[in-house]
Amino acid sequence: MDLTEYIKLVFTDYTLRTITLGTAILGAVTGMLGSFAVLRKQSLLGDAISHAALPGIAIAFLITGAKDTNTLLLGALVSGLIGTFWIRGIITKTHLKSDTALGLILSVFFGFGMLLLTFIQKQPNANQAGLDKYLFGQAATLVEHDVWMMAIVTSICLIVMLTFWKEFKILLFDADYTKTLGFNTKTIDILITSFIVLAIVLGLQTVGVVLMSAMLLAPAAAARQWTNSLSVMVFLAAIFGALSGVFGTALSATQNNLSTGPIIVLVASVFVVFSFVFSPSRGLLFKQIRLIKNRRDLELHKTLAFMYHIAESHDDVSHPHTIKLLNNFQGYTKSTLQKLVDKQYVELNGNMWNLTKKGFETAANLYTKQTTDNE
Amino acid sequence: MSNAQLEIQIIASLVAIACAIPGTFLVLRKMAMISDAISHSILPGIVIGFFITHNLNSPLLILLAALTGIITVVMVEYIQKTGLVKEDTAIGLVFPALFSIGVILIAKNANDVHLDIDAVLLGELAFAPFDRLIIGGTDVGPKSLWVIGSILLVTVVLLLTFYKELKLSTFDKSLAASLGFSPAIIHYGLMSVSSITTVGAFDAVGAILVVALMIAPAAAAYLLTTDLKKMLAMAIGFSVLSAIIGYWVAHWLDASIAGSITTVLGLVFLMIYLFAPSKGIIAVMYREKQQRTEVLLLTFLLHLKNHDELSERHVKHLNEHINWQKVRSKTVLDLAQKNNMITIENKIVSLTQKGHEFTTKAIDYIITNEDTQIEDMKDDFFLFRG
Repeated sequence: MDLTEYIKLVFTDYTLRTITLGTAILGAVTGMLGSFAVLRKQSLLGDAISHAALPGIAIAFLITGAKDTNTLLLGALVSGLIGTFWIRGIITKTHLKSDTALGLILSVFFGFGMLLLTFIQKQPNANQAGLDKYLFGQAATLVEHDVWMMAIVTSICLIVMLTFWKEFKILLFDADYTKTLGFNTKTIDILITSFIVLAIVLGLQTVGVVLMSAMLLAPAAAARQWTNSLSVMVFLAAIFGALSGVFGTALSATQNNLSTGPIIVLVASVFVVFSFVFSPSRGLLFKQIRLIKNRRDLELHKTLAFMYHIAESHDDVSHPHTIKLLNNFQGYTKSTLQKLVDKQYVELNGNMWNLTKKGFETAANLYTKQTTDNE
Repeated sequence: MSNAQLEIQIIASLVAIACAIPGTFLVLRKMAMISDAISHSILPGIVIGFFITHNLNSPLLILLAALTGIITVVMVEYIQKTGLVKEDTAIGLVFPALFSIGVILIAKNANDVHLDIDAVLLGELAFAPFDRLIIGGTDVGPKSLWVIGSILLVTVVLLLTFYKELKLSTFDKSLAASLGFSPAIIHYGLMSVSSITTVGAFDAVGAILVVALMIAPAAAAYLLTTDLKKMLAMAIGFSVLSAIIGYWVAHWLDASIAGSITTVLGLVFLMIYLFAPSKGIIAVMYREKQQRTEVLLLTFLLHLKNHDELSERHVKHLNEHINWQKVRSKTVLDLAQKNNMITIENKIVSLTQKGHEFTTKAIDYIITNEDTQIEDMKDDFFLFRG
């Protein structure tokens, strides 16, 4: 299948259109809310909540006996919230650290969920088949109704986020200050956390419990590398998330036997790796280049300073010296000398060199930084 | 109790012990989530091992899986060192990616073999007794018993050999380093043991139970003691207890053994979380309430000390002045009276001799800012002993 054919299919084929739209919306909302999770150092909360939602799904099924997506997700939401607040309770009231609390709630809730699921499977109710799709997610089961629900929840998230933007932002960066300003930090905190839980629950059906945490983190972590502004980060994360959804769906649709969830996660990971390497200000590549450049500048400065100390003992700054004089000094090579010449700090005449006036002044100010022009 | 049932319980208990030991150190080193990451990210190791050997029981699988576990740790540390994201984000980025690769590898190539993801994540302890190890024609017991038994043996030997080093590097990394124990070697040693234990246990009980067995008993024990030896012993005790109770619950409900053991672990933790004598939630809340009252009492006495005027010392006025609710002021008044700090005549409150001494001392301590002294004072004046 080539690209144009695929794009045509996205618009004509019901299933493909639904899935593409669903994963795109999901990616956008998780990216958006994930930014807050990442900045609040709650990255692994997503992992914990997505696992903690499982018993809620099972209990909702046990109570209603029906497999209605909305009811099951409501159950997931409730048990996710219980898990979240228990985690908070453990962290604030005991000396156990957040990683212990997260791991504990995650595994215990998930184990309890599995107990209930296996218990349900032994029941004579034939309706129970397919509950375990929430474990790994099955994008293929998305129907238009689910996409509508995602869209509605996403818009609610968006409205709330825009309304409380200022509060969210200030809480992120200076919680104590927020308190002194008279904001009710607890309420804002609960609001953000609840929305994160909501986004995770939404994704359960599509990418499943196990991979949900990546959906929350990866777009946000990628977006973080490109900007220092919260609004840009949230926006970029939403875009990255949506793109991961679209590309992931496309890849899994064009290949046999590729489950959508893991592919989406891998696409999101590619975004992360790309951002880690190529982001201009924080990326590893440019950081390395800057490091090498700095090191070179340092060598250059060392040579210049050495020359300065020799030239200092003469009345005439541009008094020529033989290159041999520099041999005792380790920091110079032909090419570094050439660079100094290019910058017009030094003049070379055969085997002799002399500092120019400009070079002398730069060298004199190297360590006092009195000039602005000492690159 | 049949032979198979006994074997399942023995395997479950051995897994429990093998997990609780490294788990205790993970919890103390604030690396509990690493166990979750490892348990997911070893999947591609297992799958690749399977592709090479085409044998689910090959030791190569365990080796490759453990190696993937170590790679996870290294990757997390590398990402963290770049400073681009925080540690927890690094963990959250690495393991889902590796897990996804594992899932895709299975879906692409191993559709027709017995290697489905459910089995990997959940495990099925109930089948363990059917997979026997046969040497020279004689049946020497279930294979998982031998696997987990050897892992446990190695863990225990390592624990006993390196107990001192482990303890030191857990609580004081820099001291350990300055004494010549390399924290890096201890760190990677612990990671290797956790990784191998996860793989070994994983086949029998699945990924999630491994995490629960590593973290929950240690967390519960940590709420009861701060002594490392006691903590280890308690963690082992809790995990074995939960394994056995969990087995019988599963038997009774006819449900997943791993899930039921995890649930029992959760309940054990909940009980300790609520009722632990000094660190349980109830004890903490009671202590917080008591401390609040103590502070109120002190404020109240200081107010009395500062004001000689009758009008300032009227019971009603105190209500208004310090702006307390009726119930609260009555509690404080009663408490002060019980402790012989004040006397009340005609609704006028005055400090007793003891009250005067107490407040003078309190002011001293507040000025010199020696908080610990306040605790001694409570003993000196028999505060709260009515």
